[in-house]
Parts: sequence; structure tokens; C-alpha cells
Amino acid sequence: MNTTTNAGNGDLGTRGATNGAALAAILAAGIGAFAIGLVVIVNETGLLAVPALYAPAGGVSGRTTLAALIWLVAWAVLHHRWKERQIALRGVHTATLTLIALGLLFTFPPVWGLL
Amino acid sequence: MDTLLFSERSIWTMLHGIILGGGALLGMSAALYTLVTVRVTEGWGAAAEAQARYLGWLLAGVAVLLWLTVLVGTYISFPPYRATPPEGITDLAAYPRAMLHAAPGTVWLHSFAMEVKEHVPWIAAMLATAVAFVGLRERSRLLTDASLRRMAVSLLVICFTLVSFISLLGVFINKVAPLE
Repeated sequence: MNTTTNAGNGDLGTRGATNGAALAAILAAGIGAFAIGLVVIVNETGLLAVPALYAPAGGVSGRTTLAALIWLVAWAVLHHRWKERQIALRGVHTATLTLIALGLLFTFPPVWGLL
Repeated sequence: MDTLLFSERSIWTMLHGIILGGGALLGMSAALYTLVTVRVTEGWGAAAEAQARYLGWLLAGVAVLLWLTVLVGTYISFPPYRATPPEGITDLAAYPRAMLHAAPGTVWLHSFAMEVKEHVPWIAAMLATAVAFVGLRERSRLLTDASLRRMAVSLLVICFTLVSFISLLGVFINKVAPLE
């Protein structure tokens, strides 16, 4: 079932005429997902030991905080660069889904055993 | 009667899994239904504006619930789960991780299930935040631009799948080694 809304004209509720800010948020989420996977995999391979930020929670507190910081920085940079621009959706969509897939793959414990 | 029906730790576990995580799943279901079924044609008016505004706040609510689920899970429920039991103790009921490691048949509940639960929810929360941002900032475009809506739906479907899977793993862990 499709619900159709049809009432009047005008364009309310969109901050700007470009889609850059929306796509910056979406691509940044992909980067954040990839960052979590990357931090986890380098930690599991022993290349980088991220210290715990909250000892009772252990290393996960440091790994996830680092990845969250990477996500927020990536979002801020992309937002600043893209907020006034019209960006091609397909490329961002593909890149975001690829980054999410890689991030999930790297957080999948059976993959750690292959390294 | 002095017996407590629920301990403080089990109340936090229920808040984490049922109220926050379950609420996020319900919210995502409603948002997905709206995104898939609502179409705005022939211009933008007060009714469409109201629908888009409600959708935006629904998406924001989902993101908030997911972040609360993640933070409560990581910083409140996880520490007692991973606590190391004192030397020589035989009853491991208060030490879920040690309890799972004690039996070969349940080791996977930590080495796979809990390891997934430690990291993947953060990915889900980031995806939900991105969709919420789009829903609040670009709310009319989300209902009028088919490509952007497809992108939001795909991220929400991934998010919903991840949270459902994580929730199922949580049920398994809590069934064998509950935080009580």
C-alpha cells in the first residue's frame, strides 16, 4: 500500500537546495562502520593495542571510542566540504555499502582466526 | 517478604535489551513502513510537512534509543559480565563470562556472540544517526527524492537486521549466563 500526500505547493522542510549535507552524513556512517572494523582487526592482529578508556569495560571502551572519533571527524570534514554541493548519489551509496560490508567483515570473529 | 523479584543488574539488562533495544526495533519498523509506503506527489503541503516532521522525529528517537542501548550495554552491563571471579570460587553464577568459558559447549557464546555484541551495535547506531540526520534536515527531500529514500531504506534495513541479530545473540547469552 502506498500512502500519497497531496496538499498544496511549496517546499518546506529542506535546509538547502543541495544534497551534500545528507550524503556527507551517510558516507560518514560508512566510514565510521569501517573504522570500527579496522580498529578491531588491527587490535586482534596485534598491530595496534588501543588502551581501555574505562577499565571495568576493558579494551572495547577504547576501540569503540577511537572509531566514534574517526566517524565524527570524517562527518565534520565531509559536511564542511559538501554542504553546499550537489553530489552524485550512486557513488556515495556504493561506497557507503562497501565500507559497511568491510566494517562488518572485520568485526566478525571467525575472520580474526584467518589472519 | 525480603526476596527481590529483580536484581539491579537484571533491571539494567532488561532496560538495555527490552526497553531500549526493543524500542529501537519497534521505531525502525515504523520508520521503514513509512519510508516504503509514503509518497508525496503534486507538490508539498501541510499534510506532507507533518508526515515528514513525524518521520524525522521518529528516526531521531530510534537513533537516541540505539545510542542509549549501546552505552548502557558497554558501560553498565558489560563490566559485571566480564568480571574475573576470585581464585577458588566454584559457583560462577555471578560471573557470566567465566561461566560461559567453563563449559566447552558454551564458549562460543563469548568468543562469537559477545564479541559481535561488543562492536556491531556501534555500527548500527552510526547508521541510525545518519538516517536520522537526513530525516530531520532534509525531511521533504527524503519523501520526494526516490534515490535518497532508497539509500535511507537500505541503511535502515541493514541497521534493523544488525540489531535483530545482536538481540538474538543477547537472548542466547542471557539464557545461559544471565546477569543476576
